[in-house]
Amino acid sequence: MSTPLQALKKKTNEALGIRPEDAVLSKSYLLVAFAALLIGGILGLLQGLNRAGLLDLPHWFNYYQVLTAHGLLLVLVLTAFFTIGYFYAALSHTLGGLLPKVRKLAWVGFGLKMAGFVLAVIPILMNKATVLYTFYPPMAASPVFYFGLVFIVLGVWMCAFGCFIQVANWRKQNKGKHVPILAYFATGVFVLLFFGSIPVTIEVFMIIPWSLGWVETINVMVARTLFWAFGHTLVNIWYLTAVSAWYVVVPKVIGGRRFSDTLTRVVIFLLVIMNIPGGFHHQIIDPGIAESVKFLHVFMSLAIGLPSLMTAYAMFSVFEKTAKKKGGKGVFGWFKKLPWGDVRFLAPMMAMIAFIPGGAGGIVQSTNQLNQVVHNTMWIVGHFHLTVGMSVVLTFFGISYWLVPYLSKRVLTPKLNKLGVIQTIIWSAGMGLMAIAMHWVGLLGSPRRTSYTTYFDNATALGWDPYLLFLAVGGTLLMIGVILQVYAVVHLMFFAPKGETEFPIAEEEEDAAKTPYWTERWGRIIFVMLLVIAMGYVIPMVEFIVNAPPGSPPFKTW
Amino acid sequence: MNQLIIGALLLLVLALPPVRHLLESIMIVHMHMQMPLLVVAGFLTAKYMQEKLPGFFKKWNRNGLPGILLFVIIMVYWTLPRTMDEALTVPAVEIFKYVSLPFLAGVPLRDSWKKLSVSGKNTVFTGFTMLFFGMGWLYIKSPEQLCNNYLLVEQLTLGWGFVTMAVCMVVYLVYKALVDPSEYE
Ligand code: HEM
Ligand SMILES: [Cu+2]
Repeated sequence: MSTPLQALKKKTNEALGIRPEDAVLSKSYLLVAFAALLIGGILGLLQGLNRAGLLDLPHWFNYYQVLTAHGLLLVLVLTAFFTIGYFYAALSHTLGGLLPKVRKLAWVGFGLKMAGFVLAVIPILMNKATVLYTFYPPMAASPVFYFGLVFIVLGVWMCAFGCFIQVANWRKQNKGKHVPILAYFATGVFVLLFFGSIPVTIEVFMIIPWSLGWVETINVMVARTLFWAFGHTLVNIWYLTAVSAWYVVVPKVIGGRRFSDTLTRVVIFLLVIMNIPGGFHHQIIDPGIAESVKFLHVFMSLAIGLPSLMTAYAMFSVFEKTAKKKGGKGVFGWFKKLPWGDVRFLAPMMAMIAFIPGGAGGIVQSTNQLNQVVHNTMWIVGHFHLTVGMSVVLTFFGISYWLVPYLSKRVLTPKLNKLGVIQTIIWSAGMGLMAIAMHWVGLLGSPRRTSYTTYFDNATALGWDPYLLFLAVGGTLLMIGVILQVYAVVHLMFFAPKGETEFPIAEEEEDAAKTPYWTERWGRIIFVMLLVIAMGYVIPMVEFIVNAPPGSPPFKTW
Repeated sequence: MNQLIIGALLLLVLALPPVRHLLESIMIVHMHMQMPLLVVAGFLTAKYMQEKLPGFFKKWNRNGLPGILLFVIIMVYWTLPRTMDEALTVPAVEIFKYVSLPFLAGVPLRDSWKKLSVSGKNTVFTGFTMLFFGMGWLYIKSPEQLCNNYLLVEQLTLGWGFVTMAVCMVVYLVYKALVDPSEYE
C-alpha cells in the first residue's frame, strides 16, 4: 500500500534526481574512497619498484610500513567508503530519499571512521604499527592503532543501522511489497558488515589489554581465527557490491533486462548465510585444526562457488539475450553487438572477465594440497590483485562514471567516456601483467610480504628477478590508471557540464515469474546464518581454547 | 518429484562409507550435521509420500500432534551419548539411525509442522531450546568421557555446540516476540 503522498514523493524523487543532502553524503564517501586510491596507488608503485630491485626505501619509511598503509588504504578504506557511498545513494534513489535520522547516522559513521582512521594512521607513520593490514598477534602495534580500529568499526555499525532503519521504514509503508533489488543487496551487505565485524571487534578487545601490557599473553590462534572470520567476510562484501552492479546496472547500460529476480535474491542470501565460516580457507596451513575439519570446511568454501557460477551463467544469459535482440548472430557473433565503447559497460565487463581466472585461482587455493604450494607466496598477492584489484575495483570504476555525475547533477561527456575506456584498458593491462607475474613467481617460491632481497645471491632467488621486474612495469601502468581515474572522478564531481544523469536500474523481464515472499524474511535468513556460524566455529574454537598452548607475549619484529 | 530425488540422493550420499566415516569421526559433526541431514533427507521425500498416501496421513496425523510427538521422541533418543556409541559399534543400530531419522523424524515433521497452531510451534521450538541448553550443560559439565568412541574434548565441543545453537534459538525467539510481521507483510 503506498499512500498518495508517497507516490508523489517517489515521482519528485525521480524527476528531480537525488536530494542535495543525500548527494553530499555519498559524494563525501566517494571522495575519501578515491583519495585512498590515489595514496594507496602511489604506495603500491613504491612497493612494485622495490620488489623489482629498483628502489631502496628509506629507513624512515620502510617497506613494511608502506605495505601496511597500502593494504589498509586500499582494502579497507577504498572499498568500505565506496560501498557505503554507493549503497546509500541506491537507498536514497530507490526508497524515496533518506530519512533525516538515517542521514544523520551515516554522517556520524563518517566522522567515527575518519577519526578512527587518523588514530590508526599516526602510529603507522611513526613506525609503531607496522603489523600489516591483517594485524594479528603475536605482532603488536601501539594501542592507539587498535583504538583507531574500534572507532572504524563503530562507524561502520552506524551505517549498517542506518540501512536497517531505512529499509524497515520503507517496508512498513509498503506492506507486502518486495524491497527494490538494490536495497535488498544493500541489506545483505550491511548484514554481513555488521555480523562480520563482531569477531574482529572481539579480537581487538583481546589485543588492547595485551598491547597495553595489562595481560602478558594472548591466544594467537583464537585471534587469527576471529580476524579471518572478518577478513573473509569483507572480501564477500566487496564481491556482493560488485555483483549488485553486474545484476542490476550492467543490463540497463546495454539496453537489456535483468536476470530472474528470484534467483538474484537467492544468490544474495546464500552468500550471506554461507559466508562467515569461509574464513577458515585462510587457515588451511594453520595448526590446531584437524585435517578432517579442514576438509569439511573446503565444502563450505567451494559452496560459495555455487552462487558465483550462478552469477556467471546469469550474466552471459543477459548479454546473449540483449545482443541477439539487437541482431547479433551465431554462437559468439553476438559478442560484437555489446557496447564495448561505453566505459559503463567495458569496465565491469573486464571485471567479470578477470573473475574467471580469479575464481579458478580461488578454487586452487581452497584445495589443501595445492595450498601448500602457494601459501604465503606471491601467488596469493597475484590472486587478490586479480580479484579485488580488478574484478571489484574495475566495477567500482565503472560505477563511478554514472554515479558521480548522477550525484553532482552533471553528465558524462563523450570525451570523458573515452578517457574512461583508455583508463580501463591501461588498468586491465597493468593489473593483468602484474598479476600473471605475481602468480608465476609465487609458484617459483618467491615469498609475499618481503622487501627485495637476493638472499646472498642465492640462485633460486636470483631466478625470480625477471618476473619481479613486471611488478614495476605493471605498477607504472597502474599508476597512470590511478591518475586518470582520480582525474575522472574529480572532473565529474566538480567540473563536467551540468545536466541530468540517470541512475541505471534494469527492469525485470515482462514474463518474469513472481518472486516468492519468503525471500524477504531476513529474520529467518539471519537465524540460519547464525546457526551456520555456530556450527563452523565451535570445533576449532573449543580446541584452541581447551588445548591452548602457552599464550604469546607481544612482539615487535620490525 | 524433484524433492523426492534430492532427498533420496542425499540419503544415498550420506550412506556412502567414506562420507559416513568422515562425518562420524567427529562427535559434533555426527550429531549436529549427519543426523540433521538425515532428517532433511526424510523431510524432502515427505511430499511424495503425502501425495501417494493422503489417507494415511489424514487418518493418523490429523492435527499434527502424533507426528510431532514421534519426531520429538526420535530426536531426543538420538541426543543421548549411549545411542551414538551404539550406532558406531552395533550395525543394527546404525541401520536404525538411517531409517528412523529420515522416516520417523523427517517425514512426520513435514506433515505435522503446518498443521500445528502458532502456540504449538512455539512450544516445540522452546522445548528444543531448553533441551539444547540441558544437553549442552550435560556434555560440558560431565567430568567423564560419556562415549567410548569419542574423547573428552570432543564431548566438550559438542556441549558448546548445543549451547551456541540454543543461544541462536533464543535470539530467534526474541526476534519473534519483538517483531510483528503484520507491520511489514
Ligand atoms: C596501484 C596499483 C597497485 C600496485 C602497483 C600494487 C602493488 C602491490 C605490491 C607490490 C604488493 C606487495 C606484495 C608483497 O610484498 O607481499 C601489494 C600488496 C597488496 N595490495 Fe596492492 N597494488 C596495487 C593496487 C591494489 C589495489 C587496488 C588493492 C585492493 C583494492 C590492493 C591490495 C593489496 C593488498 C591487500 C596487499 C597485501 C598487503 C599485505 O600483504 O599486507 N592493491 N600490492
Ligand atoms: Cu576468503
